[in-house]
This record gives sequence, C-alpha cells and structure tokens, in this order.
Amino acid sequence: MSPDRRKRSPFPWIRTIMAVGVVGALIVLGGQMLEHERRGGESPMTESGPRVPNAVFPTDTFAGKDIAQPINYSHKLHAGDLGINCLYCHTYARRSKVAGIPPTSKCMGCHTAVATADDKPEIAKLSAMWESGQSPAWNKVNDMPDFVHFSHERHLQKFLFDNPDMNIQDSREVCAMCHGDMVEVGVAKKMRPLTMGFCNTCHENNDGPADCTRCHK
Amino acid sequence: MPSLLGNIFKGWTDYSKGVEEGGHHEYEHMYAMVIDLDLCTGCNACSTACYAENNLAVVGEDKFGARQAMHWMRIERYFDEPDLDKTEATTDADTQSRGASFLPMMCQHCNAAPCEPVCPVGATYHTVDGLNAQVYNRCIGSRYCANNCPFRVRYFNFYDNAESWPAPMDQQLNPDLSVRSKGVMEKCSMCLQRTRAARDTAKREGRELKDGDIQTACQQTCPTSAILFGDLLDEDSAISKVWKNHQVKLGTYKQDKENPELRGYRIFEELNVDTKVLYLERVREV
Ligand code: SF4
Ligand code: SF4
Repeated sequence: MSPDRRKRSPFPWIRTIMAVGVVGALIVLGGQMLEHERRGGESPMTESGPRVPNAVFPTDTFAGKDIAQPINYSHKLHAGDLGINCLYCHTYARRSKVAGIPPTSKCMGCHTAVATADDKPEIAKLSAMWESGQSPAWNKVNDMPDFVHFSHERHLQKFLFDNPDMNIQDSREVCAMCHGDMVEVGVAKKMRPLTMGFCNTCHENNDGPADCTRCHK
Repeated sequence: MPSLLGNIFKGWTDYSKGVEEGGHHEYEHMYAMVIDLDLCTGCNACSTACYAENNLAVVGEDKFGARQAMHWMRIERYFDEPDLDKTEATTDADTQSRGASFLPMMCQHCNAAPCEPVCPVGATYHTVDGLNAQVYNRCIGSRYCANNCPFRVRYFNFYDNAESWPAPMDQQLNPDLSVRSKGVMEKCSMCLQRTRAARDTAKREGRELKDGDIQTACQQTCPTSAILFGDLLDEDSAISKVWKNHQVKLGTYKQDKENPELRGYRIFEELNVDTKVLYLERVREV
C-alpha cells in the first residue's frame, strides 16, 4: 500500500456530513426549547383565567370555522348578557364524560315564559320543532378523535369543585380553559386547538396524569 | 425525558431492572389474574365476552386459517399422549378419555415484558397500574412486539375489519375504546377501560379503589367463576390471598414452594418474564 493512499480518508465527506448533522441537531433542539418556553411561559390566562393556585394554562388559540346550526343560538346573549351558567344547560358536564347538549325541553323551560316565538324567527323555529316533537340536529363543534378519552367530570372536579377558590358561578372561567370564552362568539365555534400538545401543557403544569392510557384508548 | 428516545430508554431500563431485580416498576396498583383450570370447562364464554367488550373483529374462516384472528383471549386445547398399553376406548382421539384440557390464554402482563423494549416508538409500555398497555394511535405496526412475545398473544390488524360490524351491529361497539384500524397491533388490556371507569367512580365518591371494584369482562362472564382479577399490591385482596396460598412469588424464575402439591404455577416461568397470571393446575382422576 503506497503512503499517500494510506493518508486518504475512506470517507472524504465525513466531516461535512457530521457538521451538517450537528447544525441540524442544534436547530431541532433549539426549536424545541423555544417551543417549550413559549408554551410553558408566563401566560395571560393566569390574569384573567380561572383562579387555580399555581396553574399555567395553554393559551394557544384556534380559528375555528363557522359551523352552521339549525338554530342560530347565541352564547354571547345567553351566557354573556343574560349571565346563564354554562352548567345550567350543559348539565351533564359535572357528572359524565360528555358535557351534552340540553334537550329541547330545557330551552322551552324558559322560552314558554320569556322571549316567546312572537317576533323572533329563531325562537319560532325552536317552538315549531318543539310542537312537532323533533329535536334540532345540532352540529358538533369540538370533536375529539375516537382514540382520546376525555372526561368533563374529572376536569370540572379538579378545577371547579375541588378548588376552594372557585364557586359554581365561575364555571365559565374553567370551561374557557379549553373552549375559549364562549361569550366572545355568537354561534359556537372551536376556539382552542385541543391538540395533544395543548392538553399536555396543562397536564405538565398542573400535575395531570402523564400515563398514555389515561387519555388514549 | 419526555421524548421518543426517552421512552425507548425507559422501556429498556424497566425491562433490564425487571429481569435483574425482579419486577421493578413504579406501580400504584399491580393488577393481576388467577385462572383456575380445574373450574374451567373450556366453554369459550370468556373469549366471547372479550370480543364484545373490546370491539374485536370477527375475521371469518379464511383469515382465521391464515392466522389473522383477532381473539385477545383464546382457549387453547391440549390432549394427553395416548397410552398405548390401555384399551382401545381410552386411546380414542375423539373421546374425553384421551384427556382433553383447556387453558384460556391471553396477555400475561409480564413485569419484565419482552414486547416492550423492542418497540421502536414506545407504543407498548407499562402503566402505573402494572398493566402492559398498547397505545393504538402510536403504534406503527412494526410487529416486533408480537415476534418477541413468548405467549403469542399479540394480534395484528392486517385489514380494516369494519365489515365485522355490519349495521346495525356497529351500535354495539364499546365507545370506551377505539376500533383499531389497519396496521395496528392489539392485545388484551385486562379491560383497561373498566379500570379507568372504576377509578373515576371512586374519585366521584371520594374514596380509594377497593377490591372487587373492577371486574374484567371475562371474569364477569365465566359461568364457573374460574377467573379472578385484582390488585396484588393490596395485601387483603382476594387475589393476593390466592397467590399467597399457592406460595407463588413474583420476581423469580423458579418457585420454591414448601408444599409442591399446591396447584399454582405461571406459564414459562423459566423465561424470567415475570408474568402476572397465575394458573391453578387441573387435577384429574387417573
Ligand atoms: S404476554 Fe406477551 S404481550 Fe403480554 S406483556 Fe408479556 S410479552 Fe407482552
Ligand atoms: S368462561 Fe370460564 S369456564 Fe368458560 S372457557 Fe373461559 S375460563 Fe373457562
């Protein structure tokens, strides 16, 4: 074997490849750290959000599409201006996995007495459905994938019922953590991304379970 | 280290500790099972219940023949060797006298599970409940786990088995767990969704989980109550007592019983995978 042959590296590009690799790794790691900072950093929700001690909540927003509903029900009017508690209509949230949509009878409980069908076309639609015994076919707004287990009950228990700083009138602040403040919109819209990263930010900061199968099924 | 690599390293550390130190895991509960083979009649009710509870696909004869069945729990049949010295009747292959016996076989939820460290994405891991769980939406279908499982209890979705539930049968699907799609490995979870539900109920009632809160589908269905399920970390649970009475210990590959007549044994104990299903031997009159 000649001396200059021995000197030549078997992989002439190895340094370049390694340098590119190191730079790439730095970019990826740096990006992850920045992302972590952004997610876990000081959050404006602790100002206006629910009064849970030491809690840090994800603040990512999501521009949900307008979803057409059979009746243009306004959350702004009912929950905002009139101040009806979220849990008055979504009553199942406190004791089951799903928050549920109230039955038409619950709507009529008020609308036989106040704001009856006379001059309001949307309420006329509701009364007509009530008379004919047909339910409004609401379209789903926040839909979790089938492989996700999410329990409204557990979350309300932790942030509302087991939290001495909150009283039941404040349930809206707790709901807003994942749904956004619904009084900002009329007809319901998806306002938070509800991705795994979104859930995880909260689970990491508030001692939520970290075991995969607690949420994945 | 909450990252992909972190999960894989954790899988390996847990596994090697499990082998070296015997069942090392940070468990809150350690759910385990006892199956009394003396009570089991081989009726297959447990297997059927499992199909109903866990949205298992019924694949049909052809795919079954191609070993693509999806039964998380299967009844294995064994026959004694024919005794050639005896009369014709006792050696007849078609009669009970040849000694048919049954063994319900499902995931043994090994403490040192060989299926876990080989998963490239960490989709199978040990939960804090001491169960070997499969995260379906994480699984990429490499099938390494199935090849490393000594019990052959992992089943791969070769197809989208949606035709298994023609309408209106899709209405009976269990909403508490997903319907797995093509390319995903699945296996017995010891009815993890029931554990989850029981935990939620206990929290709602503001108490700790107690023995008997959770029943698996197979246990609930077995007509002879051959199956028992419970928490081994709870000293007073019915299942702990059976393990103790039969002098079977966790974290060893060789049982050292004072009384060798006791019926309890674990399958493939010598592999040191530390399974959590205790079988009670069948006793037969000769
Ligand atoms: S029996 Fe097989 S699938 Fe179950 S934990 Fe053990 S190795 Fe994994
Ligand atoms: S249901 Fe019980 S008796 Fe029937 S096969 Fe299963 S374990 Fe045996």
